[in-house]
Amino acid sequence: MSLVVRNALIALLITIALAGTVAFAINYLNRARIAELSTVEDQLSIDILSLDTQFSLLEAAPCDSSASSTTLTSELANMGDRLSYAEGQLGSDNAQVIRLKEQYSLLEIRDYLITKQLSAACGGTKPATVLYFYSNAGDCADCDKAGYALSYLRTTYPSLRVYSFDYNLDLGALKTFIAISKVEQRLPAFVINNKHFYGFTSLEDLEKQFPKGALATTTNP
Amino acid sequence: MSLEVLAYPFLFLAIFFESFLLVTLLSAPARKARGRAPHGALEETPSIAVIVPCYNEEETITATCESLLALEYPTDKLEVILVDDGSTDGTAAAIAQFAGHPQVRIISKENGGKHTALNAGIASTSAEFIGCLDADSFVEPDALHEIVPCFADARVAAVTAAMSVHRPKNLIEHMQNAEYIFGIAYRHAFASINGLYVTPGPFSFYRRSTVLALGGFRFGHQTEDMEMALRIQQAGYGIENAPRARVYTKAPSTVATLVKQRTRWTTGFLRNIFGEYRGLIGNREHGVLGVLVLPAALLSVGSGILLFLYMLYELIRNSLIALDIREGIPLSYIFTPHGSFDWFYMPTNLFMLLSVLTLLASLLFIVVGKRISKTPGRLALGFISYTFLYGFISPLWLLRATADVTFSKSRGWR
Repeated sequence: MSLVVRNALIALLITIALAGTVAFAINYLNRARIAELSTVEDQLSIDILSLDTQFSLLEAAPCDSSASSTTLTSELANMGDRLSYAEGQLGSDNAQVIRLKEQYSLLEIRDYLITKQLSAACGGTKPATVLYFYSNAGDCADCDKAGYALSYLRTTYPSLRVYSFDYNLDLGALKTFIAISKVEQRLPAFVINNKHFYGFTSLEDLEKQFPKGALATTTNP
Repeated sequence: MSLEVLAYPFLFLAIFFESFLLVTLLSAPARKARGRAPHGALEETPSIAVIVPCYNEEETITATCESLLALEYPTDKLEVILVDDGSTDGTAAAIAQFAGHPQVRIISKENGGKHTALNAGIASTSAEFIGCLDADSFVEPDALHEIVPCFADARVAAVTAAMSVHRPKNLIEHMQNAEYIFGIAYRHAFASINGLYVTPGPFSFYRRSTVLALGGFRFGHQTEDMEMALRIQQAGYGIENAPRARVYTKAPSTVATLVKQRTRWTTGFLRNIFGEYRGLIGNREHGVLGVLVLPAALLSVGSGILLFLYMLYELIRNSLIALDIREGIPLSYIFTPHGSFDWFYMPTNLFMLLSVLTLLASLLFIVVGKRISKTPGRLALGFISYTFLYGFISPLWLLRATADVTFSKSRGWR
């Protein structure tokens, strides 16, 4: 075997090893991302169940409870950002991403319901709440714009609660939630304090859908 | 299918080529070449003539000639031939100051191009070895001690030196300096397996008898050095490299002049390789040059253009999408960083990571080239400019050269 052929074979092995290492590293990091998401989701699940249970235990005087879902909502938003990034990396058809999205949607629905119950029982200022329905199936041209506008609103108005749902997710609870909320498949769809709004044209138009004073720049106590 | 997938074979081949370069650098022939002792190998001190073709080089020719006269070599064996190729500036006056020097011969002729100046110089001397030095280049005093022993093997027809940029100042010059030093490692490795196809203008040496036997220098599509190297290879001779024979050359200082120079080099390569030397491509008789080096050089032109166009397409597409998404959102929010340094958000894209790997390997070879040649100077600015500029500027000359060859367009030398 000539020197050149020998060198070429060694170089080929090195190339395969390097490309394989890169591919393995990407796969490893993606798995680590999924594992972290899963851990965060498990913790959130426990926290929300705890809040739910606490709320039931203090049914007679729920407003005396120091429990609040505000912190959890913030963590849910952080979780949503991570999930969205992981979805971009792994693809929206990845089985693990779909499973995590299903869990995440369930957590969002529970948080939404608890917040609503607390608000109804204790009165006070109702937090501005947005239910946002999107699709990654290529049938929603304005969903990216709407998502970015909502990120801006959520950052600018910390008291705003945004719950994002993939309209096409095959999850019984979500389907029921969509049916109860009477959200049509005209995406992007928004339910802002129980008022329906479809399509996205501009941030200005979206802001007009909020009740007066709902967008405050201070956080809830 | 994403367009990105089309880039993977090119990136894979780039990594393969760099791996091959590394393995070859570590192989016995390259190690032996690095261990080659200066001075020795030849029984007698051979006579040498260094030809300096000059066309409007009044600013640099004096320093170039002085650096040649400072070479550590027996004065009776070293001749400097200054060929004024019909300069229209003060070159004639500048070289006239060396008229009385016993080692200097001055030839004045009508302008006919660099190859005619070189041939005029060769015709005027009987030296055993002929060196060529561009009139904007300067050599280290011990360079000949490194070059001459490379001719010990009678099969060697030419020897190349270790070229870097003379006192780089701006980022464009630093970028070229890094690239040239990468070239030192490349030439050293591929010379050890006879895979060189260029004998650069700055301080390449030739066995005079071989050059004459091959018919002297030709126009060679404005790349007479490449054409001669290809002719030497085609005739079955070898081209060696002296990695510690340092020569410094002036490099273009602007993007426009750099693109013009490299367009000439690339069109010269394409026209030579698709013309008279087409038979070398893929020819197993010519070893690594035919099977790997020339196909890879051709592929690098194509892949450079394709990868650049792909990145440009992605850049424009993503920019348009980003602009569309951000329409109507306050600038204060858009320009405030919202990400975090959390590992979770670390980008892990195969295309990006393979590109980074290719770049890191290139930077490694720049360090290796510097160490092998003991080239002085710092590399920090070279690294920065090579990393951030080369990928955007080189496609300009690749595109321009490809268009020139496709549409048979000719351009001037300068």
